[in-house]
Amino acid sequence: MINNVPWLTTIVFFPILAGLMIPILSSDGNKIIRWYTLGICLLEFSLITYVFYCHFQIDSQSLQLLETFSWIDSIHFRWALGIDGLSMGLILLTGFVTTLATLGAWPITPNTRLFYFLMLVMYSGQIGVFVSRDILLFFLMWELELIPVYLLLSLWGGKKRLYSATKFVLYTAGGSIFLLLAALTMSFSGSDVPSFDIQDSIDKSYPVSLEILIYIGFLVAYAVKLPIIPFHTWLPDTHGEAHYSICMLLAGVLLKMGGYGLIRINLELLTHAHFFLGSGLMLFGAIQIAYASFISMSQHNLKKRIAYSSISHMGFVTIGIGSLTDSGIDGAMLQMISHGLIGAALFFLAGTCYDRTRTYLLDQLGGVATTLPKLFTMFSIFSLASLALLGMSGFVSELLVFIGVSTTEQYSFPFKIVITLVGAIGTVSTSIYLLSMLRRMFYGYRLVNQSNSYLIDLGPRELFILICLFLPILGIGSYPNLILPI
Amino acid sequence: GFLVDSLSLTMAILVTTVGILVMIYSDSYMRYDQGYVRFYAYLSLFTASMSGSVFSPNLIQLYFFWELVGMCSYLLIGFWFTRSSAANACQKAFVTNRIGDFGLLLGILGLYWTTEKTGFVNFLFANIIIVLLFLGPVAKSAQFPLHVWLPDAMEGPTPISALIHAATMVAAGIFFIARIFKLILSLPLAMSIISWVGGLTALLGATLALFQKDLKKGLAYSTMSQLGYMVSALGIGADRSALFHLITHAYSKALLFLGAGSVIHSLEKIVGYSPNKSQNMFFMGGLRRYMPITGTTFLLGTLSLCGIPPLACFWSKDEIITKLWLSSSYLGLVASGTAALTAFYMFRIHLLTFEGDFRASQSDEIDFNYSPQSNKTITFSFWGKTELMKEPAIGQISQNAASLEFRVKNVLSTYFVDPNQSSQIDSSRVLLKPKESDFFMTIPLIVLAIPTVCIGVLGVDIPETQKELGFTSFFNWFVFSSNIFKEYKITEILFEILLDSIGSFSLSLFGQKQIFKSEFSSEKKIISVLGYFAYYAQSWSLNRGFIDYYYDLFFIRGTMFLSQVFLNFDRHIIDGFVNATGLGRGLVCGVDLDLVLSD
Repeated sequence: MINNVPWLTTIVFFPILAGLMIPILSSDGNKIIRWYTLGICLLEFSLITYVFYCHFQIDSQSLQLLETFSWIDSIHFRWALGIDGLSMGLILLTGFVTTLATLGAWPITPNTRLFYFLMLVMYSGQIGVFVSRDILLFFLMWELELIPVYLLLSLWGGKKRLYSATKFVLYTAGGSIFLLLAALTMSFSGSDVPSFDIQDSIDKSYPVSLEILIYIGFLVAYAVKLPIIPFHTWLPDTHGEAHYSICMLLAGVLLKMGGYGLIRINLELLTHAHFFLGSGLMLFGAIQIAYASFISMSQHNLKKRIAYSSISHMGFVTIGIGSLTDSGIDGAMLQMISHGLIGAALFFLAGTCYDRTRTYLLDQLGGVATTLPKLFTMFSIFSLASLALLGMSGFVSELLVFIGVSTTEQYSFPFKIVITLVGAIGTVSTSIYLLSMLRRMFYGYRLVNQSNSYLIDLGPRELFILICLFLPILGIGSYPNLILPI
Repeated sequence: GFLVDSLSLTMAILVTTVGILVMIYSDSYMRYDQGYVRFYAYLSLFTASMSGSVFSPNLIQLYFFWELVGMCSYLLIGFWFTRSSAANACQKAFVTNRIGDFGLLLGILGLYWTTEKTGFVNFLFANIIIVLLFLGPVAKSAQFPLHVWLPDAMEGPTPISALIHAATMVAAGIFFIARIFKLILSLPLAMSIISWVGGLTALLGATLALFQKDLKKGLAYSTMSQLGYMVSALGIGADRSALFHLITHAYSKALLFLGAGSVIHSLEKIVGYSPNKSQNMFFMGGLRRYMPITGTTFLLGTLSLCGIPPLACFWSKDEIITKLWLSSSYLGLVASGTAALTAFYMFRIHLLTFEGDFRASQSDEIDFNYSPQSNKTITFSFWGKTELMKEPAIGQISQNAASLEFRVKNVLSTYFVDPNQSSQIDSSRVLLKPKESDFFMTIPLIVLAIPTVCIGVLGVDIPETQKELGFTSFFNWFVFSSNIFKEYKITEILFEILLDSIGSFSLSLFGQKQIFKSEFSSEKKIISVLGYFAYYAQSWSLNRGFIDYYYDLFFIRGTMFLSQVFLNFDRHIIDGFVNATGLGRGLVCGVDLDLVLSD
């Protein structure tokens, strides 16, 4: 094992440093910048793959590739990185989705340099969140993530982009305050020397009431990201307005940060509090699944419908984490990854559909299947994947979550039945809204607008992205052992 | 893994034979369709996953293929996606199946949970698990509360209706119950629930099939009714007879559907490509003269399904009815009544389609050009009045059906009131005659006719050798029940022929008997006696027993309402709170106010 090379630091810094090179590039046309960014993303992704392949033992449960440098000594703030199976899956997902999102962002023409630079910054920030082993560093990365998203939203969004961007920033910043507070409380309590290291914090023990307080503090921050139910309203607005390549990143990676944090910090560090509050999490998750899918049913905006479906799907993550069983947590993990792929694909499809029809409103769409057969096929495939059809990754994760719920020893029998039933209602209504979305978009025989006679089917670039997203979905779905050992 | 036993082998033989025949058949049926390749891709996927589900050794794998089969069904029902009715139908099918599948999944989870604990299993809980497991077959095999998707599923191409919605996929539910049969056998409560659901479905399906206008929908309800028989038989523990009936019914019904497809295929060129026309039995009639092979094989299928002795379904159905009588006289009564109804509606379908005169040419003419002659507009308005008088009785729900009906009546009335006139029109136009379908479509029909005729004799040997002692008493039952059958049948056939000689589907026209002139007076009495009953039966049948209506009212509207409530809650309460906070914070931070308020 080569510990000399700081692989993780390289992975984190490579995109942002490479992004700094963008202004130097010549500005004749977008082509160079596009290919440059894509190349960087690919390089980064292959770097990640290489590191994981060569320097990471999948068998061992412990943290690997640890790197620690002292950064600010006075508060014992250190640059500490490390990964385990949990973060590895999500890092791979980040790399994968970001690369495809870069490819998907090709139609963007105004101000490409800034756009691609921000994409690369986001890349770094996201990976940074998943590798950091220090709570303060985690917080920093968490915030670093926010800036590019805000700019990407407010510069390349739809009509209401400023409103959405502000809403997003206020929401997440509001959540982050709690995160910071909880992190500080945790580090100062129990010892005179503040320590932010996650490893140290595991060994600490707190009074139960304090632990619950800290737990809730963290939870608020994650609840905004994950969206847990009362904190979700930024998501439809943001997703409704953002450009679809950014939506891919938001749905594919950003939402997963909440789930990751919930597992990494709340589940691992605050086990007692988690034990108390797990039932609440499950309840919220179950309600969220049903609630969001019901809302999604009466949404007329295509992207908002998919956004609510995202919320609904993330409910499974919450339930799985709350179930306190191995299979439940595995299911939550898998659901994060599978939703990252499916959600990204659906947003991308909605965006490509918008590129052609110039509308997101379902009422104005309809009957485009005859002119856009490939889009129709892809949309059908991913909708079916999203409603957890067999053989797709969504099914495996939902099944695992339900197994987790039904086998958990912690809760009473009626409670489990309630959770399962509410989840079941959500699952059934998921199929209703997704299929009716398909029906209203593609089925029937109606020309969209007479003026839009230039509907052209998916090009090779778009097909490539979709197939890339589809393969892992199918792979995980038909052979979940690929990823479960992680 | 794979599991091969007699059960799965029987099913596999069924799936593959019907599958191959349907593939041969649809080569011709779909030749000119744009989605020819897509069709075969779906079809192969379906056959593969169906075989997979048949050979599954465990519930999870079975569930896996089960859902794949459901997906194929979804794709194939919505195959002609430009039809909005097909779009609605495939969504409905999928969602309904989804409800059942979820019950199944919960049942599997419950089973997993209880077997993992290996402790004492609560009796009630075990029953709950079985009922949950049963939900899957209820949806898949179109049993009573979740049957609504099956008639709509007829929007798919007809070979699909034959393969998926008559022979194999709907039978998968029966197969599933048979698979977990040993599990059920120890739970009498669940058993009785299952048998009653089956019995109820059988009766419901038969009554709904009575007055369908659409050829395929009539057959679909008939499928539902027959599946009810099987489920009911499983519920009383007669799994062998249920499977026997599954096989015989699958062949007969596949034959019937392929025959119907052949009819539709040839009729489409004449009356137009809308399913309202090409599948409408009022436009058919006398087709046996034009398409002898289809007509004869269809007749064989009809006879078999009605349970005429030497044919396949007779053996299996009588076995079921006998056993139902033995287990519970109520169920036996239901089953016998259903058998009588089956004979009625199947002969109605057959006679309307293949006997009498070909009605499409006239109707076509009048349908499109009924206005030019003033004489006709008068009758039109006259009929319109009677229609209005009738309407409150039918109720608002049947308005759609009534308006459709109205058109047909209009057509028929002009035809009957004034035969000379319509013949004039006929002569003025070169009539298209329906043709027999080509070789590749008739071959599967003939091949399917063989098992329809003789598979019953094969199957009946099994109980004979096994139950040597009990068979004598059974035999009496056989004779007795088949006697009942014949009696029923003779009256019904006579009745039907009588009706058809009026030639006008007269039960639906009881209110307008004064229109029929003296030459019809002999039939008047029958009409008036049966009129009231028939009228309600018709409206029941055409409105699908009002079940869809109430589903629509309670579930769909309820869901939409709930969804709207949630949306408003989300938009105004939660988001309103957020915006208000944002406004406050915006003041502090100096963010532009308009920006926040612009929502």
